[in-house]
Amino acid sequence: MHDTVSFVALCYSNPESAKEQERSHSQRRGAPSEGQWRQRDKEQWQGEGKAQVRQADEEEQKPRQHEEDMVPKGTCQTMCPAQELRDREAQNRLHHFEMLPGTEKDRRPKGDPSRAVKEYSRPAAGKDSTKPSDLRPPPVLLKTVNYLINDIAAAPSLYPWTEVYTFVFDRLRAVKQDMIIQRMSGLDCVGILERTVRFLIYASYRLCGEPLRLYDPRINDIHLQEYLSWLLDCYMTKTGPHPNQEEFQSLSLLYNLGSARTMQHTMQLPLRLRSTPNIKLALFINQAFLERNPVRLLRLAQKLNFLQTCALHRHLMTCRQDLLLVYSHGYSSRNCRFPLDRLAKLLFLDASLTAQLCRSCGVEVNKDNQVVFSKAAFTEPGQGTLHCKLYHSIASEKQRDLTVKNIVQSCVETNKK
Amino acid sequence: MAHITINQYLQQVYEAIDNREGSFCAELLSFKHPHVANPRLQLASPEDKCQQVLEPPYDEMVAAHLRCTYAVANHDFVEAYKFQTLVVQSFLKAFQSHKEENWALPVMFAVTLDLRIFANNAEQQLQKKGKGQPSEMLEKAAEQLMSCFRVCASDNRAGIEDSKKWGMMFLSNQLFKIYFKINKLHLCKPLIRAIDSSNLKNDYSPAQKVTYKYYVGRKAMFDSDFKLAEEFLSYAFDHCHRSSQKNKRMILIYLLPVKMLLGHMPTHQLLRKYDLMQFSDVTKAVSEGNLLLLNEALSKHETFFIRCGIFLILEKLKIITYRNLFKKVYLLLRTHQLPLEAFLVALRMMKVEDVDIDEVQCILANLIYMGHIKGYISHQHQKLVVSKQNPFPPLSSVS
Repeated sequence: MHDTVSFVALCYSNPESAKEQERSHSQRRGAPSEGQWRQRDKEQWQGEGKAQVRQADEEEQKPRQHEEDMVPKGTCQTMCPAQELRDREAQNRLHHFEMLPGTEKDRRPKGDPSRAVKEYSRPAAGKDSTKPSDLRPPPVLLKTVNYLINDIAAAPSLYPWTEVYTFVFDRLRAVKQDMIIQRMSGLDCVGILERTVRFLIYASYRLCGEPLRLYDPRINDIHLQEYLSWLLDCYMTKTGPHPNQEEFQSLSLLYNLGSARTMQHTMQLPLRLRSTPNIKLALFINQAFLERNPVRLLRLAQKLNFLQTCALHRHLMTCRQDLLLVYSHGYSSRNCRFPLDRLAKLLFLDASLTAQLCRSCGVEVNKDNQVVFSKAAFTEPGQGTLHCKLYHSIASEKQRDLTVKNIVQSCVETNKK
Repeated sequence: MAHITINQYLQQVYEAIDNREGSFCAELLSFKHPHVANPRLQLASPEDKCQQVLEPPYDEMVAAHLRCTYAVANHDFVEAYKFQTLVVQSFLKAFQSHKEENWALPVMFAVTLDLRIFANNAEQQLQKKGKGQPSEMLEKAAEQLMSCFRVCASDNRAGIEDSKKWGMMFLSNQLFKIYFKINKLHLCKPLIRAIDSSNLKNDYSPAQKVTYKYYVGRKAMFDSDFKLAEEFLSYAFDHCHRSSQKNKRMILIYLLPVKMLLGHMPTHQLLRKYDLMQFSDVTKAVSEGNLLLLNEALSKHETFFIRCGIFLILEKLKIITYRNLFKKVYLLLRTHQLPLEAFLVALRMMKVEDVDIDEVQCILANLIYMGHIKGYISHQHQKLVVSKQNPFPPLSSVS
């Protein structure tokens, strides 16, 4: 569907063969002689356009070098720049994860340089965020991310996981900031982004149902989508190998269930990649969703691994409700008797949770544990009446003895740079 | 044109501007015109020359245009794109200063078209080198086009003859092309709204209207609004000029799936006329209720369908195919109480192995929910009980 560009052919055509265009209407004045040029005041030309053209000139003369000079390059070898650590220590703004053990209760706790991590700070006018001593180069960034995952997110803690999450989320955001300022791209980014995406997907499941003031699923979602989008772009622009690409393309499909955009993107991937088992399964699940076949969808979902289920989990409530909606219409009759146990099996829930779900949707369950479907009866459950967390069994069963470290570091362990 | 000097060229530009000759001026700035192949115009630093002859911002605009020809001659589309950006920026400055006149519209059409084309080529060049973010240049081009659009849309003072609003549809069409390419269809909405609420919407040129309806129709398809999609795409097809076979074919590629979803199968004749035989097996499969053939047809021409962006829509035909198959079962058994087993048998005959009785019930329930079947399922009797009157309403009547 691309326009063929005829002018390109024109540009490369032999000038001799180009036809002389007839000018029927122009009574051409003589071309201005050398003496006729108008005097221009150089000052008049300080317009934006002129400056841009001049810049284009400079760039033309020494393109590569100029660009490289302009991009900040970090030199900070610690997870937290020394200056920031001193400042935050003096201002008593250390997180307790960063304090030197034993000094936490002091009036001014001391920072532990081996555990302090650069925090995210909003860019502001007058603030120079490009000082090399404040920026961490790629190997340090990767080291930082591994520390955050292995030693904070995955470590047993006296603190609730919502707090662990908030700290890691913030520090990962600062890592992202360093990456952007240094215009990092390609392979350097992939390792960092993969771990970040896994962490946020896991968090979206683990913290599901927590009070809004402690965890906001929408904010998690916004950032997760950005990281995921960047990661998929990296796969596209840098030629591989990308050993984990199959995993992340499928996570994207599951997290964005039903998104025509994500599906179209996937369909345009090379056939070899598209035919890998994880991506195929994620595509089948999406197709089942689009065909409105929740029975099939929930069955296919059983084949997903734990993290994939985490990615999908926020859509499962909708799928289950959909099943009840469609069945409410399909089985709608006065004499309808659909066994609750059968329904429970289809929903992959136990009988009591199934009954609870039915109640929330206005679907009647009689005293013999038979569901009486009726299209008039089904109602969308009100906001906040359905607690997704109660229905997490589909994921929790798969967690078994997987640790957080297993989940987030996954098979990337063998590919550590 | 291929041999004139820089001074002669600049003089022509000056006169065109002075005499408000929009079309001629557009040619002098368009890459469709042979002057761009003239090596005497391909200068690395034409600013001084331009300043001598032209007033600002025309001098910047033409200087950037000439530098662009130089870049294109060197096959450097990234540079070309950068300069074309300057051309459009400078043009817009001039355009905005034209109070209650629109003679420069042809110039706008020419420079914005070239901007989009260079953005495309520049991205391709960068991709080959493994640099740059995908869609980055096209998005920037779109931003510039939007600036032009805003200038046109906000022209409330001039009378209809002189209004810049006449530029709106062309620009919308250019923007649609970009948004579809970068897969950001939601950005089409404000443009559609603006055109819809304009009093000029039916008076644009036929060519522009056909292109417009084509894209709006495709957007409606994407939003699963098939009735609307049919309306727009049919308009585009019917009004597309007889001689533009290629364009008519492109419209059909999208019109066909929509019509099929509404129950209208294309004739073999039509498919052969427009070289769209990829659809013939799909059509056959859907009418016969043959799921096996449908899956085969979709996978056989997968690449074509995916590239056109209709693969996912064609998958929706599965539901219509189920409906057609199940209707056959009903017609065969000639009863209003159909055993669920019968549907399972029908599916097995179509070599659909991975569907069991639970899924059959789900598929049937969904067909009932969508209005394709009038009736209900009785779980106790394991039967589908259909209405005695019109149990399988015609596809076109089901919204």
